This record gives sequence, C-alpha cells and structure tokens, in this order.
Amino acid sequence: MEIKKPAMAGTLESSDAQVTVEPGNGKIELSLESSVMNQYGRQIKDTVLETLDRLGVTSARVTMVDKGALDCTIKARVECAVFRSCDASESNIPWGGAIK
Amino acid sequence: MSYSLETIAPYNSLFNKKMDTLLKNEGIKRDGHLDYSCGLFDDDYNIVATGSCYNNTLRCLAVSSSHRGEGLMNEVVSHLMNRLFEQGYTHIFLYTKISNINIFKDLGFYEIARVEPTLVFMENRRNGFESFLSSLEKPEGSFSSVCGIVMNANPFTLGHRYLVEKASSENDLVHLFVLSEEAGPIPFSVRKKLVEEGTKDLKNVIIHESGPYMISSATFPSYFLKDEDSAIMTHGVLDIAIFSSIAGYLGIKTRYAGSEKTSHVTSLYNQIMAEKLPEAGIKFVEVQRLEKDGSTVSASTVRQAIHDDRFDEVLNMLPESTARYFSSPESETVRNNIKNMKDPRHY
Repeated sequence: MEIKKPAMAGTLESSDAQVTVEPGNGKIELSLESSVMNQYGRQIKDTVLETLDRLGVTSARVTMVDKGALDCTIKARVECAVFRSCDASESNIPWGGAIK
Repeated sequence: MSYSLETIAPYNSLFNKKMDTLLKNEGIKRDGHLDYSCGLFDDDYNIVATGSCYNNTLRCLAVSSSHRGEGLMNEVVSHLMNRLFEQGYTHIFLYTKISNINIFKDLGFYEIARVEPTLVFMENRRNGFESFLSSLEKPEGSFSSVCGIVMNANPFTLGHRYLVEKASSENDLVHLFVLSEEAGPIPFSVRKKLVEEGTKDLKNVIIHESGPYMISSATFPSYFLKDEDSAIMTHGVLDIAIFSSIAGYLGIKTRYAGSEKTSHVTSLYNQIMAEKLPEAGIKFVEVQRLEKDGSTVSASTVRQAIHDDRFDEVLNMLPESTARYFSSPESETVRNNIKNMKDPRHY
C-alpha cells in the first residue's frame, strides 16, 4: 500500500498508542516514544515494522507515541492509520486480507 | 467517575464561563487567538480539564489541580491533535511552562527552545528543527562576512530596500528571511514575491522562508505571562534563541534591523536584540530608517494609505515592483483586505 497523505489513528490514553503515518522517501522511518520503552521497546518496534511489512508499505514516515498498548492494539492502530492514509477506510477495508 | 469530552462553542456562554474559571484557577489567561476549544466534564458538568488550538498550535491547556494524575491531559491532547490532523496540520507546536515539560514529552512532543525561567517551545517531530535547518539554502564556498535580516515586508517598501541594500554592500552574503506566517492582510506568497522582485538586482542576497519556527509577536501566546511587556520580552528572547541557532548553521555573524520609534513592540524587540544577540556572538546593527520628503518610510504608513484610498501619496515610499503590484487588478483582494481592517497600522 502506498501512503498518500498524512493520517493518524489512536489516542494518547493509557494502554493505547497514537500512530501517525506520512508519505516517506523510499524507506520506513520510525520514530517511537513509549512509556515502556526500556521493557518492550524492541518488541513494539518489531510489531510496527512487521505490520507495515504485511500491508506492503515500503515508504513512510511513522511516528508512534505508545502508552503501554498491547501488541494487538499496536497492530490495529498501525493498520488503521495506513488505511486512512490511502483512503482504504472509505471503501474496501481488506480485513484479514493484507493482514494475516 | 467518568468524564465526557465536549466542544466548547463560542456561543455556549455557560461552558465558556466554566472554562475561564478553570483557566483562572490554574493561573492562565484565555488566549486572544483561539479557534477551537474543548473541555472534559464530570457527571455533574463540572469542568475538569480544557484545551484549545489556534492554527497549528495547542493553547490554554489546563487540568484542574484536584484531578491531576488521572491522565486527563492525554485525552484532551489526543482529541485536539486528531482535530488538527483532520484540518491538515501535521506539524504541531505548543508553548508551556518549563515545569510542565515532562507532561508534554510523554505525549510525544520535543523541545525546540526555551526561555528561562518561563517557557518552552515544543513540536511533535523529533529532529524537526534540525531538518528545517538542513533544508535552508546554504551556498558553497567561504564568505568572510555573512549577515541576516528578518522582515515581514507587509508590503515591501523602499525602507526595506534601503536596509537590504546597506547590508548587501557591507557583507559578502545576506540571508534574508521573510516571515512565512500568515498573520496580516497580505498573503505570504505576495510578500515574498515583492521582496524577490525588489531585490533581484542584489546578487549576494538569498531569500528564505522563515518557516514555522519564527512566529510574529501578533500570534505569540501570552496567556500564561503576567503582562503585555513580559509577553513581548519572552517572545523576543525565544525568537532570538531560534534565530541564533539558524545563524549558527548558516554562519551569520551580524543581524541588521531598522530602527523603530513609533511601534512599542518593535522598539522593545530591538532593545532585546541589542542585548541578547551579542551574548550569542552575533553583532547587532540598527540602521536608521529611511526618510522621504520629511516622513519616515514604513509599511504601516503604506497600509494606512491604501486603507484610506490615498495610495498616490505613498508612491514615493515604494519600489517600482511594489507600486506596480498595488496598482494592478491582481491585487484587488489584498487591497480590499487592507481596506476592511479596523486598524491597518497594527494587526
């Protein structure tokens, strides 16, 4: 999927994460801020990158402010931000399609 | 206890009164520039937290002191950021007290500059300022004297031209910043075009957009500062801190500015520059304003004349390019903007 415009999903509330995606320049640039960075920083980063990979996103600037979200929440927020950024949320959301 | 988030519409006097009371209790004045406000209310409709925005900035953020530590600010900021994103603002700024810096760091904001002991300026991008710096045009080669000028050029007059010309003749290279913020009646694209046309014969002048980091005092949030003068001072010190970083990157050693007698804000700002710039290793040169036929050339006089339909009287203050623009049909909207202003000298 191609990131066409900036989009945001999620909130800054506890156990949630706020994900922002913007058009990138050929690579994934991830900026991560987390309240549990020391404990789960690597795992969160892997989850984000894996989700983007499954969605076929290869070029994006991704900013995530995590407030201790679970993996499933992180996935959902990343997916939602990507779908919003390419207007997939208006027609056919590929539920379970691109996402496995 | 559950809270509900409600929009505080300008006509909702009850909510607005509650918001003002909360702000007052937390030592904040309502900012004069707000285009959207919201509040968190408890079951009995007592307000417990509030936040607002203006263009791409978050303002007047407060949580009632009896409800701290419940993560209420997170909810307010989430809501406001979603709203700004929907409007297309992705690069978001805020100003806060230094004591609150950690709250906003936790919400994904990064420090740009601070003014001890009152305020920090923050943005939602990591390395945002660094990437702004590296986007500035910086010519190759070594220059022995490099200077900088910042102007609003509202619109570009012979006074501006005189200042640029002087700087251009005394230096190898001039970095000229045109404030890109839209705060006055003349849009940035027009202001920049007139600066470009009015200086195109000066080969050592590079014109920059000031970008989102230098803001005009007109929209600087003064709500948590105690009076107008301290707001002007704080804005000045912050602006100079940012200018100094830009100057460091571009190798600017001198800053030129026109002297100011009539505007209190600008003269105070010049005083601060004279005091603060040398501390950052930058020389400050205040150039006496150009006079034409006994009166000082100034953009505010030109705006006043356009406002009063006396444009012919100020033609001697304008370079040919600016005069041509304001006599042409393409400037009609801009001229109407100026005519519709209550006080075209200040805005």
